[in-house]
Amino acid sequence: MSEREFVIPIGPQHPALKEPANFMFKVEGEYVVDVVPRVGYNHRGIEKAMESRTYIQNLYLIERICGICSNAHQTCYTLNVEEVLGMEIPERAKYIRVFMAELERIHSHLLWLGVAAHEIGFDTLFFYIWRDREVVMDLLEMVSGNRVNYAMPTIGGVRRDIPADKIPEYHKMLDILAERTKYYKGVAASEKTIMNRAAGVGVLKKADAIRLSATGPNLRSCGVPNDRRRDTPYLVYDEIPFNVISYDGGDQLAQVLTRVDEVFESVKICKYCLDHLPDGPIREKFSPLGKVPEGEAVNIVEAQRGELIHYIQSRGADKPYRYKIRAPTLANIPSLVERLKGGYIADIPIVLAGIDPCFSCTDRMTMVDEGKGKQWDVTGEQLRRYGIEWYKQ
Amino acid sequence: MVQAVDLVQLLIFPGFLFILAYAMFSEWVSRKLAARLQNRVGPLHTGWKGILQPLADFIKLLAKEDITPSAADGFIFTAAPLLIFALPLAALLLVPIQSIASLWSYGSVVSFEGDLIVVLFLLTLVILSIFLGGWSSSNRFAAVGATRAALQMLAYEIPLGLAAIGPAILYGSLSINTIVNNQVKGFMAFLSAPSIFALPVAFVMAVGFGIFTICLLAELEMRPFDIPEAETEIVGGWQVEYSGKKLGLLWLGRDVKLVLASALLTSLFLGGPAGPAPIPPIVWFVLKTVFCIFIVSNLSVLFARYRIDQMLKGSWQYLVPLAIVQVMAVIALNGVI
Repeated sequence: MSEREFVIPIGPQHPALKEPANFMFKVEGEYVVDVVPRVGYNHRGIEKAMESRTYIQNLYLIERICGICSNAHQTCYTLNVEEVLGMEIPERAKYIRVFMAELERIHSHLLWLGVAAHEIGFDTLFFYIWRDREVVMDLLEMVSGNRVNYAMPTIGGVRRDIPADKIPEYHKMLDILAERTKYYKGVAASEKTIMNRAAGVGVLKKADAIRLSATGPNLRSCGVPNDRRRDTPYLVYDEIPFNVISYDGGDQLAQVLTRVDEVFESVKICKYCLDHLPDGPIREKFSPLGKVPEGEAVNIVEAQRGELIHYIQSRGADKPYRYKIRAPTLANIPSLVERLKGGYIADIPIVLAGIDPCFSCTDRMTMVDEGKGKQWDVTGEQLRRYGIEWYKQ
Repeated sequence: MVQAVDLVQLLIFPGFLFILAYAMFSEWVSRKLAARLQNRVGPLHTGWKGILQPLADFIKLLAKEDITPSAADGFIFTAAPLLIFALPLAALLLVPIQSIASLWSYGSVVSFEGDLIVVLFLLTLVILSIFLGGWSSSNRFAAVGATRAALQMLAYEIPLGLAAIGPAILYGSLSINTIVNNQVKGFMAFLSAPSIFALPVAFVMAVGFGIFTICLLAELEMRPFDIPEAETEIVGGWQVEYSGKKLGLLWLGRDVKLVLASALLTSLFLGGPAGPAPIPPIVWFVLKTVFCIFIVSNLSVLFARYRIDQMLKGSWQYLVPLAIVQVMAVIALNGVI
């Protein structure tokens, strides 16, 4: 380390991070030379906890992985369980699930826009966006009864129906959202101080984005139109017309514009769902004590932050034998490090926030021997034996 | 007897007590304005519409634990908040507010030829104390913040000085009191005999007002120039290690600086506390400074924070040349008139 370099720790507690994670920044003056990320401050053992709960109980556990993408996790979980069960859910339930997923995307992207404005010191925009985000929060509450954990998808369908007489009101609220978001897009694209802080900041090259397996808006802002909803459609996304947004540039402005445009697309999808809601029941029956036959399944859902992968392994009991979650933030961290290198200290918050990180979704453990500096993988069977041995002591 | 009057002037009105009370009032005005502009409500519960909130904050901080980091340079670390508080307070004694001899006249507590230079010098010393305070606290974030404060000073110090020189040249004095007097005289002369030359003078002075306001925003570390304390970037910047009484003093010092900034704007460009007779100068002072605070708060909610390099570049590319041109225009106009 040269004499002019020193290390600035960002996190685990830092105003720019809403959740605990640690980044060691080697800086030279105001320039960032190198970054070492470290996650793992928020490991809650959810995968293990799922193995001791029934499938219905797990519904409520899994949506508490994250406060922002709770519905995405739950959707992916129910898709997994239904695939192992071999259950086909009613069309109406599929549409309602898509409707919820897109509402959640709108709320998450607006939240992110506000946070991004706050990170570059534009608090006025932050307050305005969050005020208008209340519209979608109210809408979520009207549909599901809840503002944060909606508990809408359940095994076999959804838990609440959308009443026909409410649909015009929902349309009106979606119109307000689209109109306000259009205004904010104009602000973001014309205000010079925002351009100063966002354009050309934290650039990720297209090749690097693909090489480092970036996902979600983080990838799409680099000019790669990659979206699970279109590429491997689940639910009824193959029936709904929508565009996959992608922007060239790979800087923070592209991230902002990608997310803003995705809000418009989501509004369109929501309106389509409301207009084309098929009649029929909203769920198939699944008993709270129901057993799931032996089998395994993997499902990928396009959450707000990118590809969300869930894996389930069942051995015929009323509880999953093994459950594995890979949240999008984990896939985005290598590209985030790439974005941060060579930038300014002042740009750290906006670039960090740029991937919309959710560290509580991401955290996991690994086996390391600190003395020898070694790290190794363990199989599920080894882990099970380790657990049994540990409890025997 | 003269001494008693001097003491009252220095300690009570328009000296320390009034300035401190007015500083807290100014903070409330600026917070409330910024809150309303951002669609929030601002302070609400302490006193009428939260008017006592700054006082409550100050008292709370006095009661909090005061920690000096073991790695810090204790003497400088303690001296910096005192200086940051005392220097703008001292500078305000040079700015005309209200004379206590007569209800209808104004005057500063102390006045002499060249006190404008002293005020600008004290403003620079404040930044120096900020740098020392941040640097002595031996914190990485504070070190970055302190460096940024010093760098930022390089950017706005010169246009600030140049913009202040404009009125000094135009009204032929380096004493703030005389500048105000001559402004009033000039305005009266204009009212009795309107002249076409008043138009370019007003325009040039408006430009100076703008430059001075922008520089004061940087001096006050308000958005978009809150670079040294940028919360999301370097936590609290240079003041990150300060707590308890010292933080209380820092906050009060910032409020006093807000009053000093608006009072300087008022004195140099808006005719100071002078105004038509039925209203005493103190009321004019309050009205005009609140107007200045309104401008400053309004500007501070309109923009995103600049990066330090952008700020330096922008200042040397646009602000400094503009300030030089403005001073040259003032000299030219002064020759014509």
